[in-house]
Amino acid sequence: MFQYIVKRILIFIPTLFVISLFTFMLSVSVPGDPVEQMMGGGGSAGEMGQSSSKLASERSYIDKRKDLGLHLPVFYFALSNAATPDTLYRIPRKQHQEMLSDLIRQYGNWPQIQSYYRSIQQLDLAIADIPSDGTNGDAKIGMRDETYMLFIHPEDFAISGSLEKMDVHTKAASSMMALQPKLQAVIQAYSEMKATATPRLNYIPSVHWYGFDSQYHRWITRFLIGDFGISYQDGRPVKDAVWLAVGKTILISFLSILLTYLIAIPVGVMSARKRDSKRDQIVTTVLFILYSLPSFWVATLLINFFGGGDFYDWFPTYGLGEPDDSIWVKIHHLILPLFCWTYGSLAFVSRQMRGAMINAMGQDYIRTARAKGLNDDTVIWKHAFKNSLLPIITLFATVFPFAISGSIVLEIIFAIPGMGKLAFEALVARNYPIVYTVVMFSAILTMLGYLIADIAYAMVDPRISFSKK
Amino acid sequence: MSNTPLKQDYWSYVKRQFSKNRRAVFSARVAMFFAFVAIFADFIANEKPWAFKDQTGWHFPIVKEYASTIGLGKMPAEWANMRWLEAEFAAVVRAPIPYSPTTQDFNNAQFASPFEAQDIPSLRWRHWLGTEKIGRDVLAALVHGTRIAFTVGLVAMSIATFIGVLLGAMAGFFGDDRLRFSRGSATTGIILLVPAYFYAFQARSYTLGTALSESFLLFLWHFLISIIILLGFGVMAWLLARPLQRVAFFKQKVFVPMDIFVQRLIEILVSIPRLFLIIAIVAIAKPSIMLVMAVIGLTSWTEIARFIRAELLKVRNLEYVEAAQALGYPSWRILFRHAIPNAISPVLIAVAFGIAAAILVEGFLSFIGIGIPPEMLTWGKLLALSRNAPWWFAIAPGFAIFITVTLFNLIGEGLTDALDPRQKK
Repeated sequence: MFQYIVKRILIFIPTLFVISLFTFMLSVSVPGDPVEQMMGGGGSAGEMGQSSSKLASERSYIDKRKDLGLHLPVFYFALSNAATPDTLYRIPRKQHQEMLSDLIRQYGNWPQIQSYYRSIQQLDLAIADIPSDGTNGDAKIGMRDETYMLFIHPEDFAISGSLEKMDVHTKAASSMMALQPKLQAVIQAYSEMKATATPRLNYIPSVHWYGFDSQYHRWITRFLIGDFGISYQDGRPVKDAVWLAVGKTILISFLSILLTYLIAIPVGVMSARKRDSKRDQIVTTVLFILYSLPSFWVATLLINFFGGGDFYDWFPTYGLGEPDDSIWVKIHHLILPLFCWTYGSLAFVSRQMRGAMINAMGQDYIRTARAKGLNDDTVIWKHAFKNSLLPIITLFATVFPFAISGSIVLEIIFAIPGMGKLAFEALVARNYPIVYTVVMFSAILTMLGYLIADIAYAMVDPRISFSKK
Repeated sequence: MSNTPLKQDYWSYVKRQFSKNRRAVFSARVAMFFAFVAIFADFIANEKPWAFKDQTGWHFPIVKEYASTIGLGKMPAEWANMRWLEAEFAAVVRAPIPYSPTTQDFNNAQFASPFEAQDIPSLRWRHWLGTEKIGRDVLAALVHGTRIAFTVGLVAMSIATFIGVLLGAMAGFFGDDRLRFSRGSATTGIILLVPAYFYAFQARSYTLGTALSESFLLFLWHFLISIIILLGFGVMAWLLARPLQRVAFFKQKVFVPMDIFVQRLIEILVSIPRLFLIIAIVAIAKPSIMLVMAVIGLTSWTEIARFIRAELLKVRNLEYVEAAQALGYPSWRILFRHAIPNAISPVLIAVAFGIAAAILVEGFLSFIGIGIPPEMLTWGKLLALSRNAPWWFAIAPGFAIFITVTLFNLIGEGLTDALDPRQKK
């Protein structure tokens, strides 16, 4: 038994590894720059003032990026092409990286692309150093906007358009003429880049090994020692948020499963005992209907009817109450969500219980038990029931992930701060450290559910022995 | 004997068993009615009339619209901004529900109740299930929502069936020790794997990405090209391996543990709660109903794969498979021509339940406003609109989801009973 558990846990590891890879890769392909998100947007277009302050803000951006570990290569290795340099990840801003990789796709000559990029940076700094006077306000803003466009737009027509507009702006005021040499340098670099294009390099594969100092490696090793990083939204450790949320979801899922089994087993047994009676038919039908009712509809209806809509105001419909509320207030908050959480699996387990019980009662040993004169209750509970429990225990492996998945639906509707709501809100806000962590936790919990079901199965049925295999 | 004997082949038997289950038969009929509504939604609820007559004669705007979308003729320009509801015609035949899901009835906006008087010229114009906030007819939205729900269910499960049958059958049929390659093919295959991936996907990533942001169909087309490139490399690996196989070492066979591979894949997929997975993928891409269908399909093939794997574990040891092997047929041919067709029936059960689940997931996704384009009105989105609406508003869309899900669940149950050999009498 012990060996079996160890073996199962060892099997978890590659599975978890693939899941971690999957969520991580998903996050890398997301649009948006987390550093800008944390620094409150802005980007290159926002700043006014001297080149020194521009450089300072760039420095703080780079520092933040380093704090988040985003200055590292994404993965241990990269499959790329001969045109793309293996140091592209060092370019600070994600938007700039995307622009540059598109230029690489079009022209394929990195040295020229790099000097084009540098010339734009020089121009950008030079613009900031032009002193503002009464005459050049519009031209300066125009220049700054066009540089911003150059930083993010790789299309030929957009670049040409921006360069033409800049030419006009530099000629609009005498103080702006100082920018002409820098602008000419950009134009020069751009035409050179176009003239020496080698797009065919894009079709030569190249593999680059970055070693262990990568974003993924850092994330997964820290994850294993319990450091889940910091949230992009508020800068607080993910750990605190996730622990709280996981606790709530596990609590509700556990209560729900407990209720499910407490009600479903007697219902199933009774239903099977009085098989095909009027009561059995009613119970079966009701269970079937419950099974098919979409929980988000039921939740909406319950809120409408009992949560202070047009009808009754019996239950609170928001959250789980304050931390210092009494237990009764909390239970009051829990009633509606717990009902929605439970009825689906309740119907499912009851139906399975009824089926298993009917199956057990058709067996020969039941006839034997009756033949030797045992009373009905002993036959049902001691012989049939015990044997019908087996399939019900394995259902735990189905019901538990169901409850975790259900959390996402019901936590959103009832505003319960659990895993589902946390993951959903983090996804919408592209707050990926939280998303990774929640997905990993949900996977670990699900696998634990399977493991518990297996162990319970072995404990109930002595015929099953995992260690022999 | 005057009675014609009952047909004894397998499908006739299944059909007979299924038709004994009255609930399932009834459900199948109602589902067919829903499918009818889904197919003819444009004719059932549309602000454009079926036909109308003006100075130039009779016109059929809905048919004309269909024709123009497949490139036969053009819609007259004046129809584009036509206010169909107010327009005066010499004669007109309107759809049973004279509103499109996008039609706004400003006289009956702000949740006109189905139980109270509405500001309408006659009963013909009544909003039988009321309207929502900006005056769109709920019944018209429900009718068109049927189409979306059914499309999602069918397309998602087609994808899931394709993947599930393919992987499950390979896992069951080949197991861990029946899919063999020569060491030569394995070597060239592994060497060519990196360039194959590079040319099929990496070098084409820009094309694939822009296609995806344009339309899903275009993406599918480019994806198909990528797959063809991948297969091309497979053929190349095979050809390159042939001279290698003259060497004795490369001629020996290696096994591909197909079963372990598929089982692990299933385990990974079922370990991530499905809704988390679907939301994670759908939330980062541009809203598109095709993407929702694809993602639901890609995440729900596990049950189908399990069914067909279990079935093929039995089938692969049956005499007719052995006979085919003895005749020297290649294993691919035995798998696709003989084994799968005889193992496919349990898949129907998983598909029926899968359609119900897919419709439920789509309903939930549009309920929380993820993945479905904002202009599209689906059942789930109607339900979401009921947040700040009168009580009756939430009933109809939820009921539509519930009925559809129940129908497919009942059909699934009927199929389970009909296909279950334990019930044979």
